[in-house]
Amino acid sequence: MRPQRALTLGSGDEGGGLHTTEAKWFMIESQRHSYHLVDPSPWPISGSLGALATTVGGVMYMHPFQGGATLLSLGLIFILYTMFVWWRDVLRESTLEGHHTKVVQLGPRYGSIPFIVSEVMFLFAFFRASSHSSLAPTVEIGGIWPPKGIGVLDPREIPFLNTPILLSSGAAVTWAHHAILAGKEKRAVYALVATVSLALVFTGFQGMEYYQAPSAISDSIYGSTFSLATGFHGFHVIIGTLFSIICGIRQYLGHLTKEHHVGFEAAAWYWHFVDVVRLFLFVSIYWWGGI
Amino acid sequence: MADIELKTAPADFRFPTTNQSRHCFTRYIEFHRCVAAKGEESRECEKFAKYYRSLCPGEWVDRWNEQRENGVFPGPL
Repeated sequence: MRPQRALTLGSGDEGGGLHTTEAKWFMIESQRHSYHLVDPSPWPISGSLGALATTVGGVMYMHPFQGGATLLSLGLIFILYTMFVWWRDVLRESTLEGHHTKVVQLGPRYGSIPFIVSEVMFLFAFFRASSHSSLAPTVEIGGIWPPKGIGVLDPREIPFLNTPILLSSGAAVTWAHHAILAGKEKRAVYALVATVSLALVFTGFQGMEYYQAPSAISDSIYGSTFSLATGFHGFHVIIGTLFSIICGIRQYLGHLTKEHHVGFEAAAWYWHFVDVVRLFLFVSIYWWGGI
Repeated sequence: MADIELKTAPADFRFPTTNQSRHCFTRYIEFHRCVAAKGEESRECEKFAKYYRSLCPGEWVDRWNEQRENGVFPGPL
């Protein structure tokens, strides 16, 4: 009698050779549930160490200690590296190993919503700071807004161009989504290329505008609130652009299917959030704040 | 005792709050706008002068006068 094929993770000398991945399929079959129990990973601890280095380095940098800047940069690089390898592992587990069943997908999908809400809260703080200073300007700056002598950007120039650029980028990402849902893979790649190009043009124009702006971050409370609100928004634009580039690459490599593209959906939601924030920024800080 | 009239700036409905800094600042600005419109010694402006002198702390008035002399007063005069 031929022996049954053993359910082992042996690397292949018993009866025909089981690759680890194939053996894992057997493991899933014996799992009897559709959840994903992840393998042990070093990335959480490495991320924590990176965060520790960043915070300690940051404090050292802001106080008169030697080596603060180095530790801060090392910590930040380490955090970025952890993000890269962790998410690479997620992609490997989901797309290549197939662990992301329908229930597993619900986690990242509905989890990205509280994340985006937390980002909204973060930016809301800077909007509130701006309103606090601009709605009832203090006697010390003359009771007027913008304060006397502060050169403001004309909202009808570059800001008025950049806002529709970002809006079109949001439309392009919706186009990409529809293409993915319709199974039109090449068209989805083009749409994502359009999304990213518009985003890069936006960032380029913003950078140029910052460079030749008449006032700077240290020019009174106006400069502080303007720069922090628009600056952090710009940072989120860059993150969203990076996320979209990765989606574009994945789409090109064929990772995304019409039923399963959670990463893309998270990127699209994030991109729309960035877009909406830009609209609020334009109306309240560029337009109203400059009058 | 001679009758001494004790008066202060009237309550201004534009500034209903306890914190009257903005009231003081507005009266100061109004005085200087009046002087700019009507001339240095005009009597209509005397009223605004009394108001801001009763409302504003002396240090603030000194600082603002200095700023005006140096051309760096931030308010809309």
